Amino acid sequence: MAYLTQPDYVKYVCSCGQLKPITSLYFCRHCLKIRCGFCICHEVDSHHCANCLENMPSSEARLKKNRCSSCFDCPSCFHTLSTRATMAAQRQAQDPAGGDAKVENKQTKKMYYLSCFNCRWTSRDVGIPDQSVASGGWPERTNPFLSRYNQLLDYYKAIAQQEKQEKLERERKKFAIRGKYITLTDKTGLTGAMARNIAGLPTSESGSSAAIASFTPSQASAEVDELPDDVYTKDVNLKQITSMSQRLASPEWQPSSVSRLHPLAKLLSIKRSQRCRVCDHNLTKPEYNPGSIKFKIELLAYYHVPEVKIISYETVKPGEKSALLLKLTNPTGHEMQIQLMQPEDLPPVEEREEPKSIEKSLEKSLNLEKDTSSYRAIERVAELGSSSRVTAPEATLTLAQRDDAAEYDDDAQQDTSDFILWRKSNKLALRLEVTTDAAATPGAPARAALALQYSYRNTVPPAPAAPQQAHHTLYTTLLLDLGVVSG
Amino acid sequence: MSHNIKILPGATVCEDCTLEGDITIGGGTVIHPRVTIIAEGGPIIIAEYCIIEEYSTIIHKKSDNQEVPPKPLFIGAHNVFEVGCRLESPCGHIGESNVFECRSFVGVDVKVGSGCVIGASCNLTAPQTLADNTVIWGSEHHIREALEKQPSQLLQLDFLSKVMPNYHRLRKPNVHKRPPSARQSQESSPRP
Ligand SMILES: [Zn+2]
Ligand SMILES: [Zn+2]
Ligand SMILES: [Zn+2]
Ligand SMILES: [Zn+2]
Repeated sequence: MAYLTQPDYVKYVCSCGQLKPITSLYFCRHCLKIRCGFCICHEVDSHHCANCLENMPSSEARLKKNRCSSCFDCPSCFHTLSTRATMAAQRQAQDPAGGDAKVENKQTKKMYYLSCFNCRWTSRDVGIPDQSVASGGWPERTNPFLSRYNQLLDYYKAIAQQEKQEKLERERKKFAIRGKYITLTDKTGLTGAMARNIAGLPTSESGSSAAIASFTPSQASAEVDELPDDVYTKDVNLKQITSMSQRLASPEWQPSSVSRLHPLAKLLSIKRSQRCRVCDHNLTKPEYNPGSIKFKIELLAYYHVPEVKIISYETVKPGEKSALLLKLTNPTGHEMQIQLMQPEDLPPVEEREEPKSIEKSLEKSLNLEKDTSSYRAIERVAELGSSSRVTAPEATLTLAQRDDAAEYDDDAQQDTSDFILWRKSNKLALRLEVTTDAAATPGAPARAALALQYSYRNTVPPAPAAPQQAHHTLYTTLLLDLGVVSG
Repeated sequence: MSHNIKILPGATVCEDCTLEGDITIGGGTVIHPRVTIIAEGGPIIIAEYCIIEEYSTIIHKKSDNQEVPPKPLFIGAHNVFEVGCRLESPCGHIGESNVFECRSFVGVDVKVGSGCVIGASCNLTAPQTLADNTVIWGSEHHIREALEKQPSQLLQLDFLSKVMPNYHRLRKPNVHKRPPSARQSQESSPRP
């Protein structure tokens, strides 16, 4: 809970140089590196509606413009609309004071309308007739610019097609020069267009060029309608005018008056899986079922990297020493050796630009749907900018493995060491000393950088080709937020 | 403060609530337990078919330029006061079919028309008049105008008036037909 409600007091340095709390970091078990949302690939796994939990494949989602066909959002406050049922009585108004069951009309029919529980907007407010079926059947408004929209769509599709064709051509030439692979077209002397012709595929070039040629670009015009005469004198009734966000929520119509608001088809939600850019392994993979919040793969740093929490600290003063109490936790199922270090003592990140196999690069270049430039992994060293340093004890600390049953014993073992406060199953509390730079300006945020060396036992079954060792020594750097430098 | 609680027949008023001062509760109104209604600045008249839920507070505040005799606070029919809402009003009139959502606050000098909704946790403190069918919602106090009044809670009232007697001690109606001058408060004996 503390991670959700409190600011991030302890930030870890990701391999890309970003500073993030441990809860928003991933840990790639194959590269043995910390990764974050910034330096990994996000992939859309599945589309679903968050309200009715309907699942649909991406092609269908694209066809439906990423909107659910049965759920609606409130056009006024964007909350999900609920379907409400009423008994449509024929003329005869019910006597409220009577409470008499006999007044009930025989000819009642269940009618449905949409209503927002947040702002009490109803589909009746804008004159949408009640429906006799509970779901679907709501009138759809046609886009006034539909034909122009389709024109644009065709035009850009044609351009995309053309660019794809050109790129394919380029790739073909590149590999032809290399001479390692002989493509079908090289062998037979056919051009791509001829091959397409023979195969009966639509001649891409002529089709797309026709669409491009017949396209008329839009013209800017200086002629606009005159403002109404009473524009400066008429009182503005803000209740009748839509807000900017309400207009932009339906870009096709952009209603300026609240009486033109129309239920918005609910936007679909997605489930994402995350992939390491360096080794292409999945870091997280959610379960397919939209109702499930579990993961099939969940390589979070929280489960693999020792967690550091600040218990308390003394006020940081320039040029003085202050005490700092930290708690270390070993989240893994194996014993962990931890040593505190200074960030500058870390071994430099070795620049290993792996010579990628030609097969792999070919495979990637042919995968034209994806822009491969975004797959490049980023490695950078963070600017820590800390004014305080933590005096790291020389000793190596041993943290026991996580044991869920040990949660229930509460006898903390007192350690005799001068910097270990207590020890309890996989947790350890330390008393450390923070030395602050004399030049630190009072009022500036006080931060202390600290590096950890920890042993990690890899549980990934080793690949048959490359025998992996199971024990690793890993490093991580973290930045502790110690309030502000006092004057 | 004199206690003069008039409960009209058909009203469901739980015993476990604080009623102080000159209060009239109309027929069909349901008052949940732990409700506080204090008529210190003048009488409070609650019309028919209101729902006043738990922990809501209605105070007719005493003001400095008090009229003599004090003007009553009249709360129209079909108003819903949801859990934990607070209404502090010295100025006369609350319309009908309003909804005061959970933990909303309506301060002094706010005139409420009819069919208004004061959203959950909305605070109205500045002097203002809410036109009929005004809906206020959200932390930014968005305002919109509803086309029609909020639907009445007759089904809910019906249910509550049937269920409440099974689980709560109730104050019995003490006025028959037209409210006469008879003062017969149930538990809290009137002080002379
Ligand atoms: Zn990163
Ligand atoms: Zn849906
Ligand atoms: Zn709404
Ligand atoms: Zn990796």
